[in-house]
Amino acid sequence: MIEEPYRWVEAIANRREYIETQLASGSPIVALGYRDGILFLTLGQTRQKIFEIYNRIAMGAIGHPGDIERLRMAAIELASTEGFTRSAADVSLRRLVHYSLSPVMKGAFEQVYGAPYLARMLFAEIGDRPEEDLFLRVDYDGEIATNGATFAQARRDFAVLSGTRQSSELMESFLKTEHSSDAAFEATLKSGLDAWSVGNMTLQMSEAKELPERTTITKYRQEQLAKAGIEAGILERNDSQAIRYRSLLDKELRALIHE
Amino acid sequence: MESSLVTLDPHFSSGADDFPALLRRKGLLASATVTPTSAVATPQQKSWQPTEATTILAFKFSGGVLVAGDRRATAGNTVVYDRADKVLEIDRHSIMAIAGVPATAWEMARVLEHSFQYFRRTQLQEMSVDGKVRALSKLLRDNFGFVMQGVGVVVPIFATYAGNSKPEARLYFYDAMGAQFEATDYAATGSGSPAVRGILYYENNWGSTPLQKTSEDEAISTALRALDTAAESDTSTGGVDRSGKIYPLIKIVSRQGIRTLPESKIAAVFKETVA
Repeated sequence: MIEEPYRWVEAIANRREYIETQLASGSPIVALGYRDGILFLTLGQTRQKIFEIYNRIAMGAIGHPGDIERLRMAAIELASTEGFTRSAADVSLRRLVHYSLSPVMKGAFEQVYGAPYLARMLFAEIGDRPEEDLFLRVDYDGEIATNGATFAQARRDFAVLSGTRQSSELMESFLKTEHSSDAAFEATLKSGLDAWSVGNMTLQMSEAKELPERTTITKYRQEQLAKAGIEAGILERNDSQAIRYRSLLDKELRALIHE
Repeated sequence: MESSLVTLDPHFSSGADDFPALLRRKGLLASATVTPTSAVATPQQKSWQPTEATTILAFKFSGGVLVAGDRRATAGNTVVYDRADKVLEIDRHSIMAIAGVPATAWEMARVLEHSFQYFRRTQLQEMSVDGKVRALSKLLRDNFGFVMQGVGVVVPIFATYAGNSKPEARLYFYDAMGAQFEATDYAATGSGSPAVRGILYYENNWGSTPLQKTSEDEAISTALRALDTAAESDTSTGGVDRSGKIYPLIKIVSRQGIRTLPESKIAAVFKETVA
């Protein structure tokens, strides 16, 4: 039956719908480029979702833990062998995603007899200056979205990952006005938590078209922070160390937001 | 990336491999096998000389562990290079100092550095001190085939500082086959090491203060004196090049991490207490 072209298209469409449903409940992840680095942030304590990939690269992911694990391992293996055989400076996120991960994910998605990767990933690579920070979002079908300037959008200093398109779009429109790349860490942390709140609220509502009120966001953030832990990591811009990734503790972050 | 790097292995080992195993799987790390016949020393094969032409030393002092190495690299009777770095940083709290064939030693340091990072990234936890010490031991063991063929003998010293171990400062030396020995106070390897061991033993037992209680300046002074003494009788050890103003490389590992002493500091101590 798959031999007939329209059957194949139908099978792919079904598979897309199935995966979208599976991913729809994933807690959002925010990555924000600021003056001294890039902050990765999410809320929740069930399992780790933010990871170090290489000296200058970090990753956040939602989806099935088994699939995330396979892709994470693949990314680390590729970056590590590249960094070992050439040099750490030759490891590039753009090449890692465009030439290795995306084709593999697309391949798995379109082989309708095999299992696709149930995962959506957000990568960031720290640059020497905020303008050089790179954010890449890779979807289960190998589709790549970047923070670079296109005809439709200006360059962004942030990227988000969420269960639904609606949720990530609202988070993006929130951050477009609330976040700037020359912000200090504390301000970045706060807008990150707010953006997460916007994203998570949207996931829980069926039809959310517009950004919630400021006070609603703050109230929601406080409620969620009382229930769940903050998971965060940063890529530091400071070039005195080769390894830029550092995970942050819930405790040290709470001390900064006074809540 | 090369084609071998692009395709993903469908049967993922998911981190069961350590980094050297990953490199071997991808054909990026050569390994020499020791066949029973090569282990039997025929007259011809016995002719290899264990060349560890250098001097490296390390000892614990009040501010952590000091690791020092001279700068000379030799091939037979020829001085090839007088600014070699034999004291290498492996991670934020580990130093490996090398005596032996530089090509193998530097490659080993690279593998080790990546191994620790690979473990942390894949397993989401820092490798333990014992794990790190063992990783180096395994690399030496894997390299022994090359040693038997007469190339690539490496005899390193490994110093690390871990807040959660007791004692916090750890110092190890190895033999070419990979046996690891933990040193309580000091370690030295390389061709100039007999003299250095004599000095450190003497200083530790009958000197004005035991090594572990010495201040940083005293420790630097002891290291410089020891390397200068080694260079006195060992042609393969550079010691301190007075005319060229080339000083040994000294690094200190402590709770705060690794510090490379600036040349000006070493020169000042040298001028005051050694020259």
